[in-house]
Amino acid sequence: MTITPTAAAPRLAVTDPSFSITSDEVHAAREQSWYAHTEYGLAILRYEEVSKLMKHPKLRQGSAAWPAHNGVTEGPFAQWFDSWILNKEGEEHHRLRRLLNPAFSPKLIGGLVPRFQALAGELIDAFAERGECDFTAEFAEPYAARVIAIMLGLPESEWQMIARESATLGLALGVTLKQDLPQIEEALAKLYAYADGLISDRSANPRDDFMTTLVQAQRDGDRLSSTELRDAIVLLIFGGYDTTRNQLGLAMQTFMQHPDQWDVLAANPALGGQAVEEVMRVNPTVRWVTREAVETFEYQGLLIEAGTTVHLFSESAGTDPRVFGERSFDIEAERKPHYGFGGGAHHCLGHFVARSDMSEALPLLARRLRNPQPLPGATWLADSGNTGPISLPISFTAAP
Amino acid sequence: MKITVDLDKCQDHGQCAIAAPVAFRMNDEGNLEYETTVDDSYLDEVEEAADVCPVQAILVAQG
Repeated sequence: MTITPTAAAPRLAVTDPSFSITSDEVHAAREQSWYAHTEYGLAILRYEEVSKLMKHPKLRQGSAAWPAHNGVTEGPFAQWFDSWILNKEGEEHHRLRRLLNPAFSPKLIGGLVPRFQALAGELIDAFAERGECDFTAEFAEPYAARVIAIMLGLPESEWQMIARESATLGLALGVTLKQDLPQIEEALAKLYAYADGLISDRSANPRDDFMTTLVQAQRDGDRLSSTELRDAIVLLIFGGYDTTRNQLGLAMQTFMQHPDQWDVLAANPALGGQAVEEVMRVNPTVRWVTREAVETFEYQGLLIEAGTTVHLFSESAGTDPRVFGERSFDIEAERKPHYGFGGGAHHCLGHFVARSDMSEALPLLARRLRNPQPLPGATWLADSGNTGPISLPISFTAAP
Repeated sequence: MKITVDLDKCQDHGQCAIAAPVAFRMNDEGNLEYETTVDDSYLDEVEEAADVCPVQAILVAQG
């Protein structure tokens, strides 16, 4: 085994405001080395290594210390963040996962498909005749928020509350966490109040729905406490909204760059599932997956010290020529799996929901919004961490 | 019951090992090891494991 001298590996300045995680610079670094140094620790750039390290037993999920790193160590937000299943490990994690799993079963989600289809159609009806729209505000946001409402059994008219409070909570994942804390905690309090109302209702009046399954979750006599339930519900709202909204916008961006593929999808709606996978391979909203070394270990000749933060770059891995050949976008190609939903013990719990609702939306959009083109004025989140369009004006030719 | 795993699909995520440790475990290299025959009394949790596999690589047959 060759020991790569660490001085030879490239350096990426990921905290620089001008850094783009999908830039030529990152791809060139990947061709030079399977890893790079960053201000945080290590960046992993190639598919095989991302795949292995994603599930490596000596790496835990790496975000647990985020609030503390930003000077937030107490109060409702710090407590809620600490409660996240994402920030638990070992048996504490596995217990929560086993209790939450049944509510996210692919079998339950299949039954919601007709509602996803109806929702997508209704949203498109509202703007189709204009021949233009802000795709984020008029499709991605209401679609993502109303899917959450459908899942939770809330009236779909609550979608703006979901979108607004989730967006405020989202500030907590950015560098302004400390100064935004009062409004973040206000949004959290509102979502907790909603969650408590849902829990009371389903406890007293069980229905045949997702929320009741969650409230009634039990395994070998063990149940979720009301604190665990409310924390999980708020995480579901927050975790499911932003990501889906962003991913739909990124899908539109990619398909506008590949109009032939949009036509293929319009003609073959059964390719919806594959379209989602291919978009997430080349343009995932989750640009990196964070890990932390729990002990010092050697991997492919590199010594990774305990406590090192390791960022797995999802787009770099997803476009690795060693696995995917020359750069292309082809929704009919058979591909190895992408890492847009993470992997290992912390693989996204809601991925079947996200895959299902996006698989319904994209073919319908392809059929009804022909030849979409970007209009001026699009605004974007930074190309790092979680990314996507904040606003995405597009024009198109409406079709039935 | 009989358990089959499509090892071409398996990506070693280990969700099965969390859902049904009686039948599935990840070894020290991070690869899946599993029992091909498990007592029927564990049907619920083994079916749960098949359900949660992110790549749907697990088949459970009764008998």
